[in-house]
Amino acid sequence: MNEEFKKKYHEKYLAAKQKGVKFWPDIIYKDLIVSFGLFLLLVGLAAFLGVAQEPKADPNDANYIPRPEWYFLFLFEFLKFIPGAIEWVGTAVIPGIGVLILLLLPFIDKNPYRNWKKRKIGVAVMSLIVIGIIGLTVRAVITTPEQEEVALAGSIAEQVIQGQDLYSFWCAECHQPEGEGGEIIGVEGIEDGTLVKSISSIDEMWTRTDETFYNIIDLGQQDLGMPPYGLGYGGELQRSEIEDIVTFMRYTWDERAEIPEDAIIGIPSLAEGEVPSYEVHISIVAKRYCVSCHRPGKENNEYLMQTYEEILTTGDNADKNVIAGDLESYIIVTLHRESIFDASGEEIIGPMPPSKDLKAEYIDMFERWVLAGMPETADEATALSEPIMEDAGDAAPASEPETGTEATPP
Amino acid sequence: MSGNTAEKIFAWLEERLGLEAIYATVLDRKVPKVNWWFTLGSASLFLAVMQGLTGVFLTMYYVPSPDKAYDSIQYIMNGVAFGWLIRGIHHWGASLMVIVVFIHMLRTFFYGAYKYPREITWLTGVFLLLFTLGMGFTGYLLPWNQRAFWATTVGTEIVGTVPFIGDFLLKALRGGTDISAVTLARFFSAHIWILPAGVVLMISVHMYLIIRLGISNIPSDEE
Repeated sequence: MNEEFKKKYHEKYLAAKQKGVKFWPDIIYKDLIVSFGLFLLLVGLAAFLGVAQEPKADPNDANYIPRPEWYFLFLFEFLKFIPGAIEWVGTAVIPGIGVLILLLLPFIDKNPYRNWKKRKIGVAVMSLIVIGIIGLTVRAVITTPEQEEVALAGSIAEQVIQGQDLYSFWCAECHQPEGEGGEIIGVEGIEDGTLVKSISSIDEMWTRTDETFYNIIDLGQQDLGMPPYGLGYGGELQRSEIEDIVTFMRYTWDERAEIPEDAIIGIPSLAEGEVPSYEVHISIVAKRYCVSCHRPGKENNEYLMQTYEEILTTGDNADKNVIAGDLESYIIVTLHRESIFDASGEEIIGPMPPSKDLKAEYIDMFERWVLAGMPETADEATALSEPIMEDAGDAAPASEPETGTEATPP
Repeated sequence: MSGNTAEKIFAWLEERLGLEAIYATVLDRKVPKVNWWFTLGSASLFLAVMQGLTGVFLTMYYVPSPDKAYDSIQYIMNGVAFGWLIRGIHHWGASLMVIVVFIHMLRTFFYGAYKYPREITWLTGVFLLLFTLGMGFTGYLLPWNQRAFWATTVGTEIVGTVPFIGDFLLKALRGGTDISAVTLARFFSAHIWILPAGVVLMISVHMYLIIRLGISNIPSDEE
């Protein structure tokens, strides 16, 4: 830029300034309006959208789909177009040149004109870059697969509930639904009759810290026959899941911990003549006492119990496991601790659950359910229930929840 | 009488601080008439200050160690009065700041405001844009959640592909071969000390130049 141009610029700028406004209050006033608007926007975003919950970092969980902050997505997406062998061109050379050009722009761009009509090439290039960045960002957002949601427990109550489900699924097979332990029967890889000590006793609770419990689940105690469950050691549990199990154990079995009331999920007991449903009753009992073995990958005659359909239709003996109205259904017979024999007199199913009686109350629940024809929803069950005598007055037919553990709520 | 006292206090201060000179130079000056796009610079400054303030509050509870970072943020969100609001503003403020700073840069570009005599203002502005992105990158790891951990893993891997010095850069960023407690400490330090120092320095120069040169005018057809 020559001296002539500089002089001309200063004259023009001076003229614009003289026709202009005062910095205070005119400019400041507009600035304040915009800043205040942004402030309201921020408070609104914080209050109404909040910050998404994420599980704690788990270096062993290689399944996690990495996604950078959204304003780096375009770079990420851009790299997908660069062949792997020359990846460094996309990661270092092109962004490096881009930044350098941006920095040195005033020294590269010798065109003295400011109005966009006289800088068409520059304006066009920049516009294309901006459109490219926006396009790549949108493309990245669309093409990135959804992260498989890990149910995140926020409050203690949520952690306890989630921990209970995880415990029933992964641990109850050997440690029993209430952690009482005992003789192991019918668990793959462990000799029948192996004794497991109680993990819910007062001794256990007072002498083991949460960290100890965490490590035992994470690493296992292989000399004692317990395999590792942590993702990092060949197991399948994420860090946050193990933490939920520990929270469940602590709050349910440790007399010093006070369990939040909304963390107690009871199995509702049945009133006289009431028919249980899968939805309200059977699913919870099955989840807590059965699915630890009756899930894929376990020795269970292929009988799975994780959903309504599975209970009715799976297994080597699918046609005999659950028969509407028939108390000779295998599920009922085995709950009464009787074995099922095939024609040659060989035992094909042992007593269930293998090592311990199910509470009589729950056996009764299964019997009533089978007799009524296995209703799935609460409405179906209500329709099948015997009408309640009016003499009960205001007593509601709905039953009181009960904990199903020794720790009965007040 | 009281008015007289106030005047005396002001006169005493004026004699020592030169307040009127500051007022005349900074506030009471004429500038070209401009449009609303020109508010984005001050909006960036406002957001930077908000990030600074909320960030300072967050450091009161945040613990930069892999064992405690996640839990300390859970505590900020659930245990500290208005902690959720402070974190929420800091979280969203980061995204908003990137947008506002970027559009501010575009405005400067399309109006040709980076040209003589504002080359250095532009230079410091580009540094501020880069620092803003750097703040976003380092801040992203601090919550120590899955998203943070894996984004940083991949982000630093990208740095590792730089020819010749990539391996060195990767190790320098991570403080070792893997993302660890050292990485978290490093990112935390960069996020609350190194980059903010750079930001403050650049903002000071940027602002000085704006006051010295005045805001640019909207170029007319023949400019």
